[in-house]
Amino acid sequence: MSKKIKQIAIYGKGGIGKSTTTSNISAALVEAGCKVLQFGCDPKSDSTNTLRDGKYIPTVLDLLREKPKVDAHDAIFQGFKGVYCVEAGGPAPGVGCAGRGIITAVELLKQQNIFEELDLDYVIFDVLGDVVCGGFAVPIREGIAEHVFTVSSSDFMAVYAANNLMKGIKKYSNSGGALFGGIIANSINSPYQQSIIEDFAQQTGTQVVEYVPRSITVTQSELSGRTTIEAQPKSKQADVYRSLARRIHEHTESRVPTPLEIDDLREWSAKWADQLLAMESGEVRGVQSNI
Amino acid sequence: MTTKSNIIEKTNSISQVRYACSIGSLYTAAAIPGVIPITHCGPGCADKQFMGLAFYNGFQGGGYGGGAVSPSVNATEKEVVFGGTERLRELIKASLKIMDADLFVVLTGCIADLVGDDVPSVVSEFQEQGVNIVYAETGGFRGNNFTGHELVTKSIIDQFVGDYNGKKDSHTVNVWSLLPYQNPFWRGDLSEIKRILEGVGLKVNILFGHHSKGIEEWKNLPKAGFNLVLSPWLGLRTAQYLEKKYNQPFLHVPVIPVGAKETSRFLREISDYAGLDKEKTEAFIRSEEKEYYYYLEHFADFYSEYWWGLPAQFAVVGDSAYNLAMTKFLVNQLGLIPSRQIITENTPDEYKDFIREQYKHIAEDVSVGVDFVEDGYIVGKLLEETDFGHKSPIIFATTWDRDIAKKLNGHIVEIGFPASYEVVISRSYIGYRGALSLLEKVFTTTIGKSA
Repeated sequence: MSKKIKQIAIYGKGGIGKSTTTSNISAALVEAGCKVLQFGCDPKSDSTNTLRDGKYIPTVLDLLREKPKVDAHDAIFQGFKGVYCVEAGGPAPGVGCAGRGIITAVELLKQQNIFEELDLDYVIFDVLGDVVCGGFAVPIREGIAEHVFTVSSSDFMAVYAANNLMKGIKKYSNSGGALFGGIIANSINSPYQQSIIEDFAQQTGTQVVEYVPRSITVTQSELSGRTTIEAQPKSKQADVYRSLARRIHEHTESRVPTPLEIDDLREWSAKWADQLLAMESGEVRGVQSNI
Repeated sequence: MTTKSNIIEKTNSISQVRYACSIGSLYTAAAIPGVIPITHCGPGCADKQFMGLAFYNGFQGGGYGGGAVSPSVNATEKEVVFGGTERLRELIKASLKIMDADLFVVLTGCIADLVGDDVPSVVSEFQEQGVNIVYAETGGFRGNNFTGHELVTKSIIDQFVGDYNGKKDSHTVNVWSLLPYQNPFWRGDLSEIKRILEGVGLKVNILFGHHSKGIEEWKNLPKAGFNLVLSPWLGLRTAQYLEKKYNQPFLHVPVIPVGAKETSRFLREISDYAGLDKEKTEAFIRSEEKEYYYYLEHFADFYSEYWWGLPAQFAVVGDSAYNLAMTKFLVNQLGLIPSRQIITENTPDEYKDFIREQYKHIAEDVSVGVDFVEDGYIVGKLLEETDFGHKSPIIFATTWDRDIAKKLNGHIVEIGFPASYEVVISRSYIGYRGALSLLEKVFTTTIGKSA
């Protein structure tokens, strides 16, 4: 009997550090001896760059553009410590349908049973921002990922995207879709940012998996075309990513989140805005009194 | 006469569809002599429209530009993901090489409209090179082929006919009437409309069908003195647009005339409106009526003697244009009793009250209700619960309604989409001459039932 592949999807608003985080998780997992495939689901197709010395790989859709029948093997490339990398790719900005592109790419690999053939332990989907249409929801639909994590900072727009993702998950949860694993809180350097994310997790019945601080180490590594795990394995930041990977490795039970309705979300953010304003003006109250 | 129905007013699905998709208006383009439609859609879309509108609907045929002739992009997954403009460009180039058209009309389907293909820019590349080509965005979610018809018409006016500020000829008229192909009798009917309007002294841009002069006629459309909208609502938007664009007034006549009474009335109205020579109008009417009543006189022997075997009550199920026209004729010229009138084209809401009003004044002493229904199941239910009295009713409807007609032990005459048990070549059911064909059809059907 073949082993069960753990399939997870990592979503988050564009520019929030989703690919950086995902690639470091993949790197930490291969470092720990797991067989991992990272599947970039973003038309920008740069999810796996830092796993391959900053190099771009041909995408599934690039290949499909050339010929009608694509052998999935042609779209799979190995990187750091043998990690498998795939990029879905997509149309040029402003044309065609990127959402359908993701569906096509994911289906293609699934149909060719490539995950089983590679005897993987992990498939990690790195998916673009908001769940704007059905295409971007494909990894959370039945039979693909089981656990979904979101990378979010404490910025309102990132939280908004995370809340939208939860809505998508909630919708598909009745039809066997993926469930929510937790929030990966990124760029969290101060206690009030931590409080915001913590509060949001509480409001939505979810958990924060790890707090990842903003760090110059990450930027330096990225600029050298590598993950932090590869470029600065002994750094404190690398250990944060290893801890995150361990949490994900140990994670078994995901849940149906309870996303906020739009009015509640606005009210929630307005409440925080008030508190932040009060902090700036020196007024000390509530949760912030102990900051 | 319509009874209050206790059935579900609206269902979430439609069985026995009675119109086509918006891209079905490729047959609006194909109905203009010399025009070839190019469809930018997935495989199957264009073929379905052909089979639905032009084949199993009077077996009208595709002709010069429709059917198997119309080039199609045949979009696949590749065109969905990466956009289909490249493929469209390639198809237009190839079409220009091997097809001889006075005008190409590119129609988009759901795929192109959903993924946002920039069709206008592709088509404008060719327009700039002087190619006669226009585009219309007719994705299915925009509406049905009635919507598509208005979109295609507007596209041709805007992108091909263009601006005009010159003189107008008050005795030339543009006619906006039946929807080509949707109504299987459109060819014969438009010919009859053109014939009678010319009879009273108008020059007629009939725009569609054999008697249209094709794109030359369309180019001259702004020079006409006025537009005639001869239908309950279709064409009104076009006429309103032309009024704004060319300062061209329009006359709206909701009842397409069938039979001498209504046709003569119609011609007098037109003649007055256009300021035509009254003498000439009356002379034409006299000569037409003389012929019409010559035939009716002989028909009268049958009609008065055979009364015991003929239906007394009728129902009409179909597009509002024919529905209203037939109802008016059957009541006013044959003395039949209207028992159920069902309009099925998904009439835009803003016109429904106006149409209801028309049915209130079918004759001086006859007022009927009308139902707007699209679902065949409800059509069947409504017909079933109608009290047609003790004699077999006659039902003017479509192929879909044959089963219920049988159940009611009624007679059926197919007058609308889909008319799959009718072969229509040039037959008309309107005006002076068409009415006689209609009478032949109605009573051949009736007495033939016991053969």
